[in-house]
Amino acid sequence: MSDAAHAHDDHGHGHPTGIMRWLTTTNHKDIGSLYLWFALIMLFVAGTMALLIRAELFQPGLQLTNPDFFNQLTTMHGLIMIFGVIMPAFSGFANWQVPLMLGAPDMAFPRMNNWAFWILPVAAFLLMVSFWLPGGAVAGGWTMYPPLFIQGGISYDLTILAVHIMGLSSIMGSINIITTILNMRAPGLTLMKMPLFVWTWLITAYLLIATMPVLAGAVTMLLTDRNFGTHFFNAAGGGDPVMFQHIFWFFAHPEVYILILPAFGIVSQVIPTFARKPLFGYASMVYATASIAILSFIVWAHHMFTVGMPAAAQLFFMFSTMLIAVPTGVKVFNWVATMWKGSMTFETPMLFAIAFVCLFTIGGFSGLVLAIAPVDIQLHDTYYVVAHFHYVLVSGALFSIFAGIYYWLPKWTGHMYNETLGKWHFWLSVIGMNIVFFPMHFLGLAGMPRRIPDYALQFTEFNQIATVGAFIFGFSQLIFLVVVLKTIKGGARASDQVWEGAQGLEWTLPSPAPYHTFETAPVVK
Amino acid sequence: MEQVKTEVCAGESAGAFVFQSRPNHSLTRFQERLVFWSLAALCFTTAIGFAWMGYWLILPFAGLEIGLLAWAFEVLRDRAGDYETLLIDGDRVVLEWHCGHRVSRREMNRQWARVECDCSSPGRNCRLSLNSHGHATEVGQYLNDEARLQLAAMLRSRLQG
Repeated sequence: MSDAAHAHDDHGHGHPTGIMRWLTTTNHKDIGSLYLWFALIMLFVAGTMALLIRAELFQPGLQLTNPDFFNQLTTMHGLIMIFGVIMPAFSGFANWQVPLMLGAPDMAFPRMNNWAFWILPVAAFLLMVSFWLPGGAVAGGWTMYPPLFIQGGISYDLTILAVHIMGLSSIMGSINIITTILNMRAPGLTLMKMPLFVWTWLITAYLLIATMPVLAGAVTMLLTDRNFGTHFFNAAGGGDPVMFQHIFWFFAHPEVYILILPAFGIVSQVIPTFARKPLFGYASMVYATASIAILSFIVWAHHMFTVGMPAAAQLFFMFSTMLIAVPTGVKVFNWVATMWKGSMTFETPMLFAIAFVCLFTIGGFSGLVLAIAPVDIQLHDTYYVVAHFHYVLVSGALFSIFAGIYYWLPKWTGHMYNETLGKWHFWLSVIGMNIVFFPMHFLGLAGMPRRIPDYALQFTEFNQIATVGAFIFGFSQLIFLVVVLKTIKGGARASDQVWEGAQGLEWTLPSPAPYHTFETAPVVK
Repeated sequence: MEQVKTEVCAGESAGAFVFQSRPNHSLTRFQERLVFWSLAALCFTTAIGFAWMGYWLILPFAGLEIGLLAWAFEVLRDRAGDYETLLIDGDRVVLEWHCGHRVSRREMNRQWARVECDCSSPGRNCRLSLNSHGHATEVGQYLNDEARLQLAAMLRSRLQG
């Protein structure tokens, strides 16, 4: 017998238990759960920072924080919410759902999948530990603009390292997702038959791979400017700080879509289920998603109209940004058309999905307002921008995550969640979220700048309303935690189909989905 | 489990029994080239553009990342030819695996071969192996539990018959 044959013998089938199970797991469901728990923990961490920020802003003057700590809180809140909550949560969904939806037994590279997750907590540790280092955490904003980012202390270097690690995790995850989707589809499951969630993740992974080297290069140049005497962005040495903004936003605008495209995918699964109709305009949804991804590469400078650029450039970036409203409008139209004359029921996932459609559209419209260069120059760095991106990322990305959790949790755990608690969570979240962020439009229009711990007296009322809303929104997330824990622990048994109108391979499996699934691929007709 | 779906062909020719299983590969050469080259073109165009303006540190990261992507597709290409074959011909039982670049083979005497099927941990994989002279060799790595149990029954009847 050859050595190779020996190697084939005696595969270790003793499965580790306890902590080792989670450290060494290569199972896509385990890793999906790890991503989702990580995201939930970081949501509470970054959410607590948001509550501290809002508590400070309850009234003018300095109450709880000093200005530097306030800036640290806003910076870390942004960095953690983006890289520690939204992206890992969507990766969790991808890990759980993509193989199940494709009829695949696991991801294409399970060991790389394990690594992609386990380096994330290391990055989170590096970010968090900087609060206790001399000079505190990074305080220059999540965008890491020089010159502030070149001048800070040791925590800035740690943040650069953390960003590298998170980027590496994203690249490994993206390569895994692309290869899984392309190579492990069940026979008969052509690209144009794939669930829309899988399509949106395929395009998201493509965007991530396309843009991550830009971020990695940009932060490395910051690092060399800080430590090795280069002057890429250091104006004192002839560098160009504005160029950092160009490079950063060349990465970060596609990143914005990385944060929202999987949300489109989740909502496109939820709405047809509870409308009991197939998704309206499936092909147009795919093309609209691809169009949004392509356009994301040519709009970056709308984030920096105020740095000064030629009128032709302003016009180009203004119109290209407005163009994004077309495919986005196609999507919103299709979601509404799917619901039109459907046999709708309003379980918690559907409520979050409908809230997503309504509130994300508000965020989209305020984005259109900001796309107009002369208006943006007035509103740049005001609370209007804060209102805009929170409508996109909270009622957009975060609400879609809630919709997805409520939708698939019975399949994952085998138990139905408590619908009453789910509805309480929904209504408190949606009311709280609007109380926090809607008044910020008025604050911004009135001229209140963002990232300040103190403000002029005339902004007090709207700030107080926003702070009340923030605490309602923040504490209502504890209901979500209770719902998740109760569902894992027990509850009514979930059927295999779970939802009457649900379609797709994942619903053909038992609930909870067994540890190993689709080892032999199903055939899709 | 790295294996995907399985194409199984069981057949008999001239008295021999052949059972072959392969993992599923849905990736076409065209799709692979389209995705890889479009990503490589996008990454390198961007990186070279910035390098031309003096911001050259994006270029090595683009190279590393596209290298990792190339490796991933290379591994998938290697795995595309994987198979597992089990042949029972007269007194010979031949097991053959093609895994990446490796081909491995084990031959045993039909009279000595014993089928062992362990499904002791519910919810986990069943383990199917052929044992001869105290040495077990696992088979059915591309199969699910149900198919493994069917194969086990088939092998028992073939080996005893």
